[in-house]
Amino acid sequence: MYRYIFRRTYQLIIVFFLFLVTSYLLFDAIPGNAFQNLLLNPDLPPDAYEQVLALYGLDKPLSERVFSYVVNFFKGDFGYSYKYYPKTPIELIAERLPRTLMLFAMVNIISFYTGFLIGKILAWRRGSKSETWITITSVFSYTVFYPWFALMMLWYFGYKMDWLPIGKFLYPEKWYDSPYDSDVIFVLMIKFTVIVSIIQVLIYVFTKNIESLSLKRNVRFIGFLLNIVGSYFFWNTGDALLKKTYAGDIAYHMILPVLTVTVVAFAGTALLTRTTMMEVLKDDYILTARAKGLSQRRIRDRHAARNALLPVVTSFIFTIVTIIDGSVLTETIFSWPGMGQLILDSVLNEDIPVAMATFSFIGVFALIAHFVADISYAYLDPRIRIQSQG
Amino acid sequence: MSSILEVTNLSMHYETISGNVDAVKDVTFNVKQGESFGLVGESGCGKTSVAMTLLQLQPENGKISQGSIKFDSNEMIGLSENELRKIRWKGMSIVFQGAMNAWNPVVKVGEQIREAMREHSPNNSKSENTKKIRELFEMVGLDESVIERFPHELSGGMKQRAMIALALSCDPKLIIADEPTTALDVVIQDQILKEIRKVQEVFGLSLIYISHDIAVIAEMTDNMAVMYAGSIVELGKTEEIFKDPKHAYTRMLLESTPSIIGEKKKLRSLDGEPPTLINNDNKCLFSYRCPNPTNECKNRELDMELIKISSSHYVDKCCIDCE
Repeated sequence: MYRYIFRRTYQLIIVFFLFLVTSYLLFDAIPGNAFQNLLLNPDLPPDAYEQVLALYGLDKPLSERVFSYVVNFFKGDFGYSYKYYPKTPIELIAERLPRTLMLFAMVNIISFYTGFLIGKILAWRRGSKSETWITITSVFSYTVFYPWFALMMLWYFGYKMDWLPIGKFLYPEKWYDSPYDSDVIFVLMIKFTVIVSIIQVLIYVFTKNIESLSLKRNVRFIGFLLNIVGSYFFWNTGDALLKKTYAGDIAYHMILPVLTVTVVAFAGTALLTRTTMMEVLKDDYILTARAKGLSQRRIRDRHAARNALLPVVTSFIFTIVTIIDGSVLTETIFSWPGMGQLILDSVLNEDIPVAMATFSFIGVFALIAHFVADISYAYLDPRIRIQSQG
Repeated sequence: MSSILEVTNLSMHYETISGNVDAVKDVTFNVKQGESFGLVGESGCGKTSVAMTLLQLQPENGKISQGSIKFDSNEMIGLSENELRKIRWKGMSIVFQGAMNAWNPVVKVGEQIREAMREHSPNNSKSENTKKIRELFEMVGLDESVIERFPHELSGGMKQRAMIALALSCDPKLIIADEPTTALDVVIQDQILKEIRKVQEVFGLSLIYISHDIAVIAEMTDNMAVMYAGSIVELGKTEEIFKDPKHAYTRMLLESTPSIIGEKKKLRSLDGEPPTLINNDNKCLFSYRCPNPTNECKNRELDMELIKISSSHYVDKCCIDCE
């Protein structure tokens, strides 16, 4: 296994290097550059343009620029943004990332979980009326034209019912005299979510070996309750208490985008789970499980769903990258100034250092996600474990 | 000796688009305590359907249309799913045909056995369960390290041995062995058969042995039934049937297997295909393959029905004296 991890890491580095060079070449292939409008300004001396190019090193030949970019990249120097000059790409990303991370991590977790849950119930109740209707609904939300759907959600919940805010990602009047930056709150919320999920996973792992099923269920339920009580105390003591109203404001603004994207995204998982699980249900070991007299729920969850999980996890890994790069459409429609907008902005303005930094950031994340996926396959399916040892 | 299982007039059909497939037709037999009972017939004659119907594990389109199954003097037909669950594995367990796919590939073998024990005796501790699995593994000749292995790490023979251990894990009264040696090579086949006989003797179990191999049935069972097209055509003591087969189909089955004792005979093969089971009347379906049918048979005038010819030997009346 360690040899396998080592070999994969080695491959990752090569792939990432190729990725970096190719992206640079592609950005270079865009006609023009960020400073071309200087030429249009009659008040500037004619050599100002050349001077600016020389300042940023853009007058050098392509090969030299690629080389120095890659070298500087591995030194950790990403240059400066052309558009927001004194800021570096890292500063820009650090500002935008928490917003996207919070929103899309939420969406991904919720949509994957509900999708898998609904998918397995659909496969289990194959042929029933509820199955037909939920499948039709899922196909609808899977195929719906997303911008239209998002606008309809905004119109209904934001305008018609006036339940949820539209057009902003927070209320400026609330934050006007706030002692905190919105990013601080975002980071706190992310930390909170991560810790709560880790505790939940730990509860699951530690109770795994309890033999009695009812005891296991009860212990897990108590753990879940404790987690909720702990969260309540966390937000009502010390530092977090002061930040609570701001966090609440952000959470309030998050409801609508999370709801909308979840409705669209869960359907894909649900339909995929339904299909794979229907295949699995035909397998012989399901019959063995039934013959053993196991409960329906246990056959469904332990034997069928567990085996249907692999393709679903694969699709999840492909979508998980949206945690980082967000989605331009979602962020534009819901006025959520996150990574998606940053990417779009930097590419349109030919702000190459920022575009390169964001792209390579996404690249690293995607590569790591696939790496983790490969390892988790080995965990999910022991048959892969053997082959991966070689 | 009392009967552990009494099956009376059991019929089951599969509802399909092209009509009802009568997979089990009016089947009647008894299995006594501690006895081993054989069910033999060609592929597709309904042997496995009988086995599945006994535990009511037939696919969803399989409907029991009549009959009764009395297990341990309790009627099983009409029980709810939850009541059936208590009988499954604790009362009757199955060694499946082709154990290759009978194990969940992502769960350790030991855990899959423990899971069944947990379901039927929830108060056992994990170490008690593991101890019992160790004992069972020792009995079927498996190393105890197999507990921590995944199914794909085992060979076919090991899987089948583990399957026997699994079938014994909840101390059932009756084991249904559904072609447990199919897909195994001859040497392993022999070992598995010995294993099954050993556990049957040690635990005093009743056994239903299902096979298409009449030689194995001869070796393994006290009583047997020959199935053809969903019906039992001959039923009785294994010895008697082998000595004096009454039904033409039984005779042909016997003649298609070589015997190592007695005179050498030319092996005969059975002509024709098994009949389709869709929308049949109750007339003899063997008539068109029968080497020597009577006129009544040819004109399909006789209904299929077992008649008694001695205290322990029944045969389909249709074929009672065709040679």
